[in-house]
Amino acid sequence: MLVSEIHFPKDLAEALELIRRPGILVFAGGTGILREQGGRGISLPGEVLFVREIPELRRTSLTERFLEIGAAVTLSELLELGDSALPPLLAEAARGIGTPAIRNLATLGGNIAARDRFMDSWPALACLDALVELRDRGGATWMNVNRFMGDDGKPAFPEGGLVTRLRVPIERWDAFLLRKVGPSDYPAPETAVFAFAARAEKGILAEARIAFAGDIALRSRSLESSIIGRGLPLSSREAATIAEGYKSLAAALPEGLALQFGVLVDGALGMLSR
Amino acid sequence: MTISFILNGEDVSANARTVDRLSDLLRDAFGLLGLQSDCRCGRCGRCFVFLDGRLVPSCILPAFSVRGKEIVTIEGFAQTEEYRDVVEGFETAGLETCGFCKGPKILAMADLLERVPRPTPREVLAHMSSVPCRCTDPVALVEAARAIVERRAGRIYRRAGQ
Repeated sequence: MLVSEIHFPKDLAEALELIRRPGILVFAGGTGILREQGGRGISLPGEVLFVREIPELRRTSLTERFLEIGAAVTLSELLELGDSALPPLLAEAARGIGTPAIRNLATLGGNIAARDRFMDSWPALACLDALVELRDRGGATWMNVNRFMGDDGKPAFPEGGLVTRLRVPIERWDAFLLRKVGPSDYPAPETAVFAFAARAEKGILAEARIAFAGDIALRSRSLESSIIGRGLPLSSREAATIAEGYKSLAAALPEGLALQFGVLVDGALGMLSR
Repeated sequence: MTISFILNGEDVSANARTVDRLSDLLRDAFGLLGLQSDCRCGRCGRCFVFLDGRLVPSCILPAFSVRGKEIVTIEGFAQTEEYRDVVEGFETAGLETCGFCKGPKILAMADLLERVPRPTPREVLAHMSSVPCRCTDPVALVEAARAIVERRAGRIYRRAGQ
């Protein structure tokens, strides 16, 4: 069994020095890493960067325009911000992750930085057009979470750098929906999350966003653009045409997920048809 | 490596390997057998401890990660008035648990009432989903939460009157 060297950086600057080491594992909540290890001993790589206690990664701040969340803020701490601070779509997503005890360990940064699949916060954050700050010694880069989706819909989280903060725009949403399908306690191939958010201005649809993700992600800006600007409520014919577009997008999904996605799209469009 | 932390109110140190789970360290080095390390994926709840006052599954917590932290196990929690509130609230509500999940359910209920002083039935059931053992009647869980709230309020009221 490999014995790892554990680094406990006292601040972000020290962590950014260490993150350059090849093969080093960033460890915050550790729920994603350890939940798949059923043996007695934990298996970790040769070097581990323990970031849970770094003060800069534990901060949250709220302005009129956005909520900033440190990457090592746990999902429980996120939910404790309350409904007045937390966008409802993100709150729903956080509540659907694990159990309350797991949420005391799991961090939002870890959830969004998963490389093998999209975890449950991604669809909500994608709908909200959240930004993620990635830092290395060279400086900071802000990336929209939608860029973590490759052209083939698979996760494309950038190599190198440390996720330090997430910035979620504070906007008014008139309708939203978040549903998790498949086993609820831990992601399986048949697990995915559907997120929808829409806003109207003077009876016209000003924004409509739909994201769905599990092993692969679906989000179509062109379909969203085709909806925006329509008068509300949508006619049943308009809703059916839009739904058809989304259902053809779902051809890449396994059959069961494609069916569930279709039902959820119908439900979301139904909210705009009433 | 040697890690120092506070365990059930006492400063302790232990030699821990980087491969050790906290649940195994607590059982093997400190003889705290009130927690189990069964599922090793944080799902069953039988390894619950309080980490700096928050309920966590210690089987998915590396021992090295509790350096400088405060850990309370069911053995330590059993010395508190809050424990007695929960146990007597369970009895008042007629709540029965199997031998496997009694400790975790006591800790989970105490954790809920620490954060939400008067939980709704929905909040009780959502929080107690941390312990998925199905031996307990959900209605009794909700009744127990109500009984504990009343008992705790009475205790605090009596203390204020003294």
